[in-house]
Amino acid sequence: MPTREELAVTVRTVISDVLGTDPAELQDRTSLLEEYGIDSLELMEIGARLERALQLRIDPDDLIAARDVGHAIDLLRTRMDSPV
Amino acid sequence: MSTRHPSGGHRVAVTGIGVKSPAGNTLEEVYTALLAGRSAATRLDRLVEADLPVHFACLAPPFDVTAYLSPREARQIDRPAQLLLCAAADALADARLPADRSPDRIGVQIGTGIGGLTSMEDATTGYATRPRDLPVHTVPRTMSNSPACRIALRHGFQGVCTTYSSACASGSTALAEAARRIRHGELDVAVAGGVDSAVSTVVMGAFARMRALSTRNDAPALASRPFDADRDGFVMGEGAAVLVLERLDEARARGAVVHGEIAGWAETCDAFHIAAPHESGEVAGRCMRQAVADAGLSVADIGHISAHGTSTVPGDRAEARAVDRCFDGQSPPVTAVKGVTGHLIGAAGALEAALALVCAARGTVPPIANLHSSPEANWVDLVHGAPRRVAPAPVLSNSFGFGGQNACLVLAPPP
Repeated sequence: MPTREELAVTVRTVISDVLGTDPAELQDRTSLLEEYGIDSLELMEIGARLERALQLRIDPDDLIAARDVGHAIDLLRTRMDSPV
Repeated sequence: MSTRHPSGGHRVAVTGIGVKSPAGNTLEEVYTALLAGRSAATRLDRLVEADLPVHFACLAPPFDVTAYLSPREARQIDRPAQLLLCAAADALADARLPADRSPDRIGVQIGTGIGGLTSMEDATTGYATRPRDLPVHTVPRTMSNSPACRIALRHGFQGVCTTYSSACASGSTALAEAARRIRHGELDVAVAGGVDSAVSTVVMGAFARMRALSTRNDAPALASRPFDADRDGFVMGEGAAVLVLERLDEARARGAVVHGEIAGWAETCDAFHIAAPHESGEVAGRCMRQAVADAGLSVADIGHISAHGTSTVPGDRAEARAVDRCFDGQSPPVTAVKGVTGHLIGAAGALEAALALVCAARGTVPPIANLHSSPEANWVDLVHGAPRRVAPAPVLSNSFGFGGQNACLVLAPPP
């Protein structure tokens, strides 16, 4: 089980790969919808990449429901504690 | 100057040109390479490693894509869409359209012969056994209208957006259809052209299986030799060419630089064979004649011909016969761009139309690269060795494609 910081690095890297930004630009309070206008295909792509990186089935609703990057990391940690 | 075309419609001006091609990424670079007869074909190690019988192709030289596309955009699209978006950006920068143009009167008209097939090839190779892992952008990346719609999306053009597929004639088909929409007032501006980028294992292998491609692996730069006695097939190329079309009267009113006019066009189908041209050249010759008539001209008004000239024996021979028929044995000077650029498939007609406009205005007929002696020389006046000077005059640009597709354009110098 990765620490929250380790998980955060993975999540930020995956998101920045898909959005073509720098991981350092993505803070816990960053809203992908408001600041990047992320679309549903990009969210699905992030989900697919995280599934591979974390070896974990991810419910797309977790990502859609996330208010910001930090919230997404917390939801993923919950999911890792109790896999689907 | 009459603001009306002989057809009664609007005259169609070209006010912007952008190219990404093996012979250069600006029109002037391509023109210079063309006059020098410098072939862009190079050996590609990856083709050798893939065990293809053909070891070379013509690729667009590397350029700074980040000057055109955000990393996010670049990640979502494939090479054809990338080349087309960059060529379109150059064409629009060249056209300097006024900001007050209504976006719903600007349309995108693009031709592609192969479209997203190579991206689908990658998806098939990588994911056929694990479809659940397919990248989510697979469909939007591979659909054949993707490059055209990416132009519309990026610039907010809400007029009709159409992708045409007539194999190797696609670029000319798109320009003809775009010009028709300007002539008849359906659009105020058309962003039109063609694209293909298909130097992949399966596409190259498939063309090679038809024995359509040159296998001159020991001398790639000598491989594309339209009309030459020693030709042995075409050379695959990649690229995009985009032209901005608008009404000539409106272009002049806003003080735009006019590269020339798309004065006439015609399209026919051989209805003979799915890949081979009809060797009599009858239907293709009729297409040329109809294009000249559509421009309100007679064949004697044509200053030179930019031949389809792919460097295949059946194609070149049928075209030479078609020219001979159309011009009643009085062939104007003939050039063939593909000796330098290779065959850009769906982009070929658009790139050649762009170059024809330059040549029409400057009164230059570029030499056909690698042409030394031709069995067709008794039918057509083939220019070789050095550029030939002619008076500025309209150019007939031919495109022919598998399926028996014929598309001919008449490109006139600025009035």
